Amino acid sequence: MRKLLHRLKNHSRLAYFSLWFLLVFYFASFFADILAPYHFDHQFRNKPYHPPTKIHFFDSRGHFHIRPFVYNTVVDDPVFKTYREDHSKIYPLKFFVRGKERKIFFFFKTDRYLFGVDQPAGIFLFGTDNYGRDIFSRLLYGGRISLSISLIGVFISFSLGMITGGIAGYFGGIIDQTLMRLVEILMVFPSFYLMLSLRAMFPLNLSSIQVYLLIVLILSLIGWAGLARIIRGMVLSIKEEDYILAAKSLGLSHWKILLFHIFPNTFSYSITAITISVPGYIIGEAALSLLGLGIQEPYPSWGNILSSTIGNLRVLGDAPWLLLAGIFIFVVLINFNLLGDALRNVLDPKNW
Amino acid sequence: MCLTPKTGRMERMLEIKNLSVLRIERKKSVPILNDINFAVKEGEMFCLVGESGSGKTSLALSIIRLLPKSFKIAYGEILINGKNILGINERSMRNIRGKEISIIFQDPAAYLDPLFTIGTHLQESFHGKMANKKELISLALQEVGLDSEIQTVYPHQLSGGQQQRVMIAMALINKPSIIIADEPTTALDVLTTRQIISLLNAIRLKHSPAMLFITHDLELAMEIGTRIGIMYRGNIVEIFRPGVQKPYHPYSKILLGTIERKNSKLVVGVEKNKFYNEQISQVCVFFDMCDEKEENCKKIIPFIWHNNETGVRCIKSGRNTQV
Amino acid sequence: MKRLIIKRLLQLIPMLIGMSFVSFIIIQSSPGDYFAQMKMNPEISPETIESMRTSFGLDRPILVQYFLWLKNMCKLDFGVSFAYHIPVKTLIKFRLKNTICLAIFSLFMSWIIAVPLAVIAGYKEGTFFDKLLSMCAYFSISLPSFFVALLFVYFISKTNLLPIGGTRSIFEVDASTIMVFKDYMKHLLVPGLVLCLVNVGGLFRLMKNNFIETFNTPFILAAWARGVSRNSVIFKHTLRNALNPMFTILGMEIGSLLNGAALTEIICGWPGMGSLVLEAVLSHDLYLVMGSLVISGFLLVLGNLIGDILIAFFDPRIRIS
Repeated sequence: MRKLLHRLKNHSRLAYFSLWFLLVFYFASFFADILAPYHFDHQFRNKPYHPPTKIHFFDSRGHFHIRPFVYNTVVDDPVFKTYREDHSKIYPLKFFVRGKERKIFFFFKTDRYLFGVDQPAGIFLFGTDNYGRDIFSRLLYGGRISLSISLIGVFISFSLGMITGGIAGYFGGIIDQTLMRLVEILMVFPSFYLMLSLRAMFPLNLSSIQVYLLIVLILSLIGWAGLARIIRGMVLSIKEEDYILAAKSLGLSHWKILLFHIFPNTFSYSITAITISVPGYIIGEAALSLLGLGIQEPYPSWGNILSSTIGNLRVLGDAPWLLLAGIFIFVVLINFNLLGDALRNVLDPKNW
Repeated sequence: MCLTPKTGRMERMLEIKNLSVLRIERKKSVPILNDINFAVKEGEMFCLVGESGSGKTSLALSIIRLLPKSFKIAYGEILINGKNILGINERSMRNIRGKEISIIFQDPAAYLDPLFTIGTHLQESFHGKMANKKELISLALQEVGLDSEIQTVYPHQLSGGQQQRVMIAMALINKPSIIIADEPTTALDVLTTRQIISLLNAIRLKHSPAMLFITHDLELAMEIGTRIGIMYRGNIVEIFRPGVQKPYHPYSKILLGTIERKNSKLVVGVEKNKFYNEQISQVCVFFDMCDEKEENCKKIIPFIWHNNETGVRCIKSGRNTQV
Repeated sequence: MKRLIIKRLLQLIPMLIGMSFVSFIIIQSSPGDYFAQMKMNPEISPETIESMRTSFGLDRPILVQYFLWLKNMCKLDFGVSFAYHIPVKTLIKFRLKNTICLAIFSLFMSWIIAVPLAVIAGYKEGTFFDKLLSMCAYFSISLPSFFVALLFVYFISKTNLLPIGGTRSIFEVDASTIMVFKDYMKHLLVPGLVLCLVNVGGLFRLMKNNFIETFNTPFILAAWARGVSRNSVIFKHTLRNALNPMFTILGMEIGSLLNGAALTEIICGWPGMGSLVLEAVLSHDLYLVMGSLVISGFLLVLGNLIGDILIAFFDPRIRIS
């Protein structure tokens, strides 16, 4: 693994950077409870569509403060949602502030957050949405959902694809034919239409945990077919290798051969395939949530943060910072693509 | 036939002087061809013999200046009808290719564009006057023993022998003064090989171009060649006339099977990667493999010419020249 | 050639049957009775419901139901939409036209842009220009279609450069065909450009790889050696050979185009299949969902078929075997 990292670094600095960048992203969303200044459904009722808060070093009289601070804001025009700063009092930025207790992934409790300011002022790095919720915090929490769905989805469809492709390729004959026809039929449908139709099989009003599981299920059901086909092809060629024939003549059982001799040889491909297919899952989740069929309010995901902007030009015009969710998706996607491409080159035996 | 306007009839058609080619690999460069010197006269069949990886094909590609991008011609001159082609620009080079010098490759199936008919291939290769285009195309086809109707057919519909005949027709069509044949028979079966060889010989006798025949088969070279150059790891180690002289260089002798190898541990052959990873060696190229080596061999050995036509790259050649 | 196409058409049949069966299963396992919603609607007479029930054989065993449904499908009868109270066929026909226009437009645009750029980048491999284009391609493949669509909508809402939403803004009866067409194209431009932008990167990368691969083949070397002109080598030999595998991916591309198109349509308000299927899912309009699913699958199969025919047409090795 270390060797792999080293080769990756030598092959492309950019891809190596991407890897670290993604790790930081995953880390940040995992520890959203500590990093986010507000809980995802903490509402500032009097501050809807608040633009990103300005962080000051100089106060209104021109005095310099070492500790950066913010001003409280008050509504200037309630119709157009413009705000002005109230210069009477400064609210310094505080680190490791104490607040309401949150649970990190159901296990650890924390009541300290990385940074924050005293009420009634608020620090909104990326502005707020229509309920006055901090977009930065919601993006962090949303990343937890969006990124975990994609990872679990990839894992499930990969296992499915591995098993089906492995069995089809290894045993061949009727089994192969049947499984591959099934795969082809699944691949005939454009995935978006299939995704929506599968979603239509279930009632619209599900609990949030049910929706989460449902999305994972739908995405992996759509994704496994393509993987199965490629793995089958690989297994077909690997099983003709001498060492597999040797293992057979030693009398190893089919399952042992498949598990210990064939699957490990698809490893380098698998790593690449996983990296390359993650973006599809992120987009899938975002698309469903964007259309209101995925993660439901108040829970945030990168898709549903964007959803309030659809078909509502005014919201988009008033609060363009909502589009930051799209930028998050884009940034994660481009890093996955860069990493995936580099991995493909590095792991390709032809390039060794 | 091969008149260049200024100098009149040139004696030597293809002349290579001190040619060295490197391959640039990331930061280091590895030698591919080292100090190649020879000339091919008109009507001559110069056979270049060597194992795979010895640099034969690189040499052929240098002569038409179509080496892959990672290869660099480091030093030397390539004279075609007296003109150094390494000094001219790409546009003028394109005018030389196919017209004054043409090449026949080893695997005809891979060297014909699958999407175009034989006719299109031939028409593209023709660089003469448009007026007698059709005539000359069918003439060239006739010469290689193919029917004129073959022009409407796609490459994949032909047999290997027919494909190679098409390649030869394309090479002939402009009546070039130099023809390079790069292992033209490797991809063919035995019978077709004989036919192609005799066809090439017939062409040489009829049009008397300077012919550079590249092969790994020394027996074949002994049979058809007027002169033979032996290549070993990017060097020409010996040039001799078959039938007139016996080869002298130890490597040539091994190739011919005239002597038994004393050191059976060593396998004659070039490991591609081993050679590529080496810098220009400071000893005789054949030092590691040679059974007759001595202390004197531990230096760079120059090519020692017996006359202008034959010679050997071996230090002992001065002492006992077999003629 | 003819035999090849017939063979491919015959191969389609089991595919289509399998596809329809999967669609049927998906819809069958959806919750609720088909007609529960209809019964609540006072506008639909109980007789209509009863006649539909018998025509779809809903009181018969599932397998019989499937074959009845298949029979109706072959007659292009997809049932009646619950929400619109008109046959699904009519709805889809209108929407499908728009989606196909959108798909063809963006396909055309992205090919027009990607192929020449790929040829230049492939020929000048490793130069700054090539690297710049490759980076742009990375951006393009990483941009989610819905995000680009939102950005476009945002931009348009600020500048009012182009109309957004719907297919026309001229409603006069006496408007000439050309004006209506122009108007239609104007509306098509925003979703079309969005889709083009999202697709062009992948297409570029594929084409560039094909070009470089072809450029290094022996027959190109031989073409140079024969003294063929540079333009001929690049545009006649390399480009033609590099384009061939592109036809195979045409079918696949139609699939990804439909996916991207769906979201783009919804965000840009383009009345195509994507927004139709979304509405259908939201209102649990099952026959509409099923119809859209089958039609979209059919489009993909059709795209594959067209790709196969194109490649057979352009590649003599397949055409004459």
